[in-house]
Amino acid sequence: MANLFSRLRQSPDAAGENIPSELDLTRRGFLISASAAGAAFGFPLAGNAAMDPEAADGVPATSDGATFEPTIWYWIDSEGLVNVNIIRAEMGQHVGTAIARILADELEVAWDNVRITHVDSAEKWGTMVTGGSWSVWQSWPVYRKAGAAGRVALIEAAAEKWGVDPATCQARDGTVSDGSNTATYASLVAEGLQRSFTEDELNALPLKPHAELRLVGKDVKALDIDTKTNGQAIYGLDASVDGMVYGVPLIPPTRLGSSVNSVDDSAAKDVKGYLQTLTLNDPSGTVPGWVVVLGDTLMAAKRASEHVSVDWQAGEHAGVSEEDINARSRELIADKNYGAILPSDNPDSAPAFEAAADVLEAEYVTQTVLHMQLEPANATVFQNEDGIWEIHTGNQWQSLILPTLSAALEAPADQIVMRTYMLGGGFGRRLNGDYAVPAALASKALGGKPVKLVFMREDDAKFDSPRSPSVQQLRMAFDDAKAVTGMDHNAAAGWPTQVMVPSFMPKGVNDEPYDPFAIDGADHWYDVGALRVRAISNDLANATFRPGWLRSVGPGWTNFAVESFMDEAAHRVGEDPLTFRLNHLTAKGQNAGSAPNAVGGAKRQANVLRRVAEMSNYGSADLPADTAIGLATTFGQSRTMPTWVGGAVQLHVNRETGYIDVQKMWLSFDCGTVVDPDSALAQCEGAALWGLSMALYEGTRFEDGNVVDRNLGTYTPLRMIDTPDMEIEFVDSSEVPVGLGEPGTTVIAPAIANAIYNAVGARLRSLPITPDAVVAALKD
Amino acid sequence: MIEFEINGKPVSVDADPDTPLLWAIRDEIGLTGTKFGCGIGMCGACTVHVGGRATRSCITPVSAVEGTSITTIEGLSAQDNHPVQEAWRNLRVPQCGYCQSGQIMQAAALLQDIPAPTDEDIDAVMTGNLCRCMTYPRIRNAVRQAAAAMTQGNSDNG
Amino acid sequence: MLKRVFWATSAVILIGAAGFGIYAYKPAIEPVDANSRTAFDPEIVEKGRVLAAAGYCSECHTAEGGPPFAGNYPMDTGFGTIYATNLTPAKETGIGSYSPEAFRRAMKEGVRRDGRHLFPAFPYNHFTKMSDEDVDAIYAYIMTEVPPVELETKENELPFPLDLRFLQAGWKLLFVDFDDYEVDQAHSEEWNRGAYLAEGLAHCGACHTPRNPLGAEIESDQYGGAQINGWTAPALTPRNASAVPWTAADFKSYLTEGVSANHGISAGPMGPVVHIGIRELPESDIDALSLYLGEKSGTNNGDPVDTSAVVRSLERGRPDPQYRKDQGERLYATACASCHYNTEQIAAGRPDLGINSATNLETPDNLIHVILDGVSGPEGIEGVVMPGFRDALSPTEITAIAAYLRDARANRPAWPDLAETVTRLSNTAAPAE
Ligand code: FES
Ligand code: FES
Repeated sequence: MANLFSRLRQSPDAAGENIPSELDLTRRGFLISASAAGAAFGFPLAGNAAMDPEAADGVPATSDGATFEPTIWYWIDSEGLVNVNIIRAEMGQHVGTAIARILADELEVAWDNVRITHVDSAEKWGTMVTGGSWSVWQSWPVYRKAGAAGRVALIEAAAEKWGVDPATCQARDGTVSDGSNTATYASLVAEGLQRSFTEDELNALPLKPHAELRLVGKDVKALDIDTKTNGQAIYGLDASVDGMVYGVPLIPPTRLGSSVNSVDDSAAKDVKGYLQTLTLNDPSGTVPGWVVVLGDTLMAAKRASEHVSVDWQAGEHAGVSEEDINARSRELIADKNYGAILPSDNPDSAPAFEAAADVLEAEYVTQTVLHMQLEPANATVFQNEDGIWEIHTGNQWQSLILPTLSAALEAPADQIVMRTYMLGGGFGRRLNGDYAVPAALASKALGGKPVKLVFMREDDAKFDSPRSPSVQQLRMAFDDAKAVTGMDHNAAAGWPTQVMVPSFMPKGVNDEPYDPFAIDGADHWYDVGALRVRAISNDLANATFRPGWLRSVGPGWTNFAVESFMDEAAHRVGEDPLTFRLNHLTAKGQNAGSAPNAVGGAKRQANVLRRVAEMSNYGSADLPADTAIGLATTFGQSRTMPTWVGGAVQLHVNRETGYIDVQKMWLSFDCGTVVDPDSALAQCEGAALWGLSMALYEGTRFEDGNVVDRNLGTYTPLRMIDTPDMEIEFVDSSEVPVGLGEPGTTVIAPAIANAIYNAVGARLRSLPITPDAVVAALKD
Repeated sequence: MIEFEINGKPVSVDADPDTPLLWAIRDEIGLTGTKFGCGIGMCGACTVHVGGRATRSCITPVSAVEGTSITTIEGLSAQDNHPVQEAWRNLRVPQCGYCQSGQIMQAAALLQDIPAPTDEDIDAVMTGNLCRCMTYPRIRNAVRQAAAAMTQGNSDNG
Repeated sequence: MLKRVFWATSAVILIGAAGFGIYAYKPAIEPVDANSRTAFDPEIVEKGRVLAAAGYCSECHTAEGGPPFAGNYPMDTGFGTIYATNLTPAKETGIGSYSPEAFRRAMKEGVRRDGRHLFPAFPYNHFTKMSDEDVDAIYAYIMTEVPPVELETKENELPFPLDLRFLQAGWKLLFVDFDDYEVDQAHSEEWNRGAYLAEGLAHCGACHTPRNPLGAEIESDQYGGAQINGWTAPALTPRNASAVPWTAADFKSYLTEGVSANHGISAGPMGPVVHIGIRELPESDIDALSLYLGEKSGTNNGDPVDTSAVVRSLERGRPDPQYRKDQGERLYATACASCHYNTEQIAAGRPDLGINSATNLETPDNLIHVILDGVSGPEGIEGVVMPGFRDALSPTEITAIAAYLRDARANRPAWPDLAETVTRLSNTAAPAE
């Protein structure tokens, strides 16, 4: 602060009552330095410094007087305030609001009394990960039980007090009553309530019937909205610690295997504010060959970094291009013995193809995609007075990176805490917390001094874990009655899970492990006879870059192939693509679905598809020339947690320029119970537009071992002017709530490809679909 | 020392003249509501008002604003109730929120110049602001709503 | 503003003219004792302050970061550097010992008190048109208000024989008309007032009139447009390339506010001309100047604003969903349109780049300068800035934007040397702020 005010010379008449904003905004800085001194939140005991997205300074609510804490997930204080602990990262889903509402509903408290705390990492929370569209789905049973526990305990305490049967009591809006007596939760807590529940007790608790849910499914304003409209929300980039220095990385020529021969910083010494250049020594092997330039401001570090020259020994994949990676995919697909075969009712498709009267084959290719989350990667690291390493950054998978940080810092994992911030976009980039490692190493090299490492956009792109390019080859066998008898789906790409958490990989029927996040979606719910899905890890991709999980992961490319191919198959047998799909969504065998997550199976997928056909007037709309609607469907992220989505896109193709004018998109979702309707809609809008962006506007490629597009001058995601009208509906359902963050993404690209075919008869099999590609396809 | 006004208060900043205004605002002055996205003027996350006009602070050297008057998201309105902010909250525009300071500052400037924008106008002016969460449909609606509220407000006053 | 190449070579050719030495010889004028100078009428001093500002004296006589009027501002002539002299009333190194006559001779004949000739980087060829009364007012201002600073003027860095001051006399003989301003009876008094200011004090022609190979303004092509410090000083004649003709009203807003909605803003070398210069003049003088310039541009009597050009340009500026088809158009839509977009009319501060002068000139320099380095707070519309894209966009990208504006927005034939110009200007260091 002193630092700030010496720089910020207020004129005498302006100092005074109207300068509160700076004070407010730097309180987080205070908070951090206070916790650095071990004073503020008693870390590491509480493990709970955390972030309240509703509070202007981010400081979570503290309790008044006595508290009741039936589970680790929340407490109620003697004022009736309920603070809900959220272990999921807030990156735009309003996840805290959705989860806290599940709890508040079962607990029977008024929404106005609910606060949320996005907690810092600590062992007691279990696995901290935010991805896979899992948050609501995973939290649903946990927070319902936790809420029910509190409700039951409070009712029982009141009943005991009144000497009545708890069964005669009812809880509503934070008050228990039995008809004649009433007691608020606040008063019951103030009287001293101690009760905890075993796992078995929790499982035995009565949950409210669906019809009695009062907050779930109702419109409630998200708690993180206000601070996101006045500049008060605190992101990792806003972290500030007294005495911190700034770092910018100099990233080696290859992601893996680079080393530093020599560093010359003599030209940087003239830069005002330049401190020093560190060559990182990384026992975790995450950032080999990295150099970090330090300055007393970020811009000093940045300017200095432009004058530091590094001589690197590049890793062996310095020359790899996108074409090389795709060529390797084709090579591996051609090798029949390579890869994992996924389970299906009948994975042996060979007989079907041998007996086939007709075989349809097609290859689909998708280009590399960058996350480009708007807040570039950054992390602030220091060792506090208790010797704890504090990692201040927005992150989606704390449990994954902590062991790596432990290896890098050569400190036990319980001596490291990740402090929680709002994420300026996640989209899977921050599942991979590798960006915290160079910051930690730089701080370690300075003996624990605070270092804030910021990736400029170009560095962020270069160090991204992009969505791998993919090549897929599909085949379908038909008998002489044109019935489908078998299908093969070969999909080759870089595998994020293999590279980052191989232990997460299940085994295929041939005992080979596979990355579900690189093949989910190919194991579709259509009845096609024998279905042989082969997942292939592209070793060249894995060795050239860090393949990443990117919003919608595998289905981002597998569903493009499946849903384009279903259209091609329909046309091959002369059926309408809608009819053809419905005829194969028959919900037989493994496609019948199962409780609790996939009740109804393929029937529900058929339903959403029918819905969008109706919504869009598919088949009956009278459209102008070169204009058409295309359909596609998806079951979301995986068979274990299907979110059923139907998508329709209406577009016009300009035959001369190849320009695709997307006029309207319709989506129908069946995600079971909708917990937070407005946020659900927002997620679906965003997901669909991501789908559109990746279908038409996004894509980079590898050249010389790196992605060529590193900033928004050449990498061109969807913008306002590209945004079409959308109509989105949710199927009414009381089934288990499943995920919504990603599923809307994957129907768009195939629906577009199918619409283009319907409009002008050209089949586009590679993403993104560029105007040049459309023009070329029209010439064929 | 480079002197200017920010949110109505005079400040002097001791920074290299070529330091981008964005970093002077964030790191020297300590107002972090203004965000960094691309550093090349292509995302709008860093948008502030200089002399009342929306300006990309990441490519504006701090020396260029000597003597000017700057408004950041923190100073857009005393009670955070600028009609644009109100509309943003009513329609729950933000997802991750990171782009929204810039979006709001850009939209406020848009409505000052073009009080009743058509959708085409909104497209033209707001296309420079990237929202990676793709909140565009809601931004579009919120701009319309804010425009209506402001026109209403003006005629009430008049 | 005379920061331009000065072809001092000219004089050399004239050696050999008989009697030249006699012509060239000017006697010294006796120094005066500053202390003996009587106080000036404050009204005259104030008038002098305004005139000194409107003649941008301090602009050329103040080195960067140096004391005002103390000289040493370097002017690169292409042959070497000339340093502006110390104009403060310092006794030894300034003009403290100049009598009013000596000052008048310097201003109007380009001869120092000691009799030596001044280089015509100093625009005495214009100041000679000023009335003695106006020159004396400037004298009164400098002697009264400008703090004396003893600061030796640096030696000019001109090679022999260009450094021979007496040779300048030949140049004068050839190119300078030392007559007083002559009233043109065909025009109004106001017009004549404007002409008097433009040709004398404001020395517009010093930048806007092209020069012959010997560095002298070409009389017959007065205000025909010229190059200065890598910028284009546009023609102030009917040849002006603007999409919408300049009128007196346009000139007035440009000269007082630094912006004309239909043409653009005063940036680059023109920035200080407006912002520390002309706008100091009384409104009646600015009106007169505007009237005169408007007539020189030949449009005061025509259609005042060619609105159809504006409408066409705004039409071309509508957002096109196919904006991604052209790199320049795409970059423009994402980086420029948020400010440079207008609806039915051009709003102040939202320049329309289809009709903006920078896009319509024969050369792309001005446009590229502004894209590269933006417009700072004190330039253009005061208090408003445009960011610079020097470190943000590559020369190829800037070329694409400029080409798009030229072709699709201004609807003019392509600039032939665009890419080279962008590369050249990108490689030149940004001006110090
Ligand atoms: S950070 Fe300034 S425009 Fe992107
Ligand atoms: S709300 Fe996340 S980038 Fe716009």
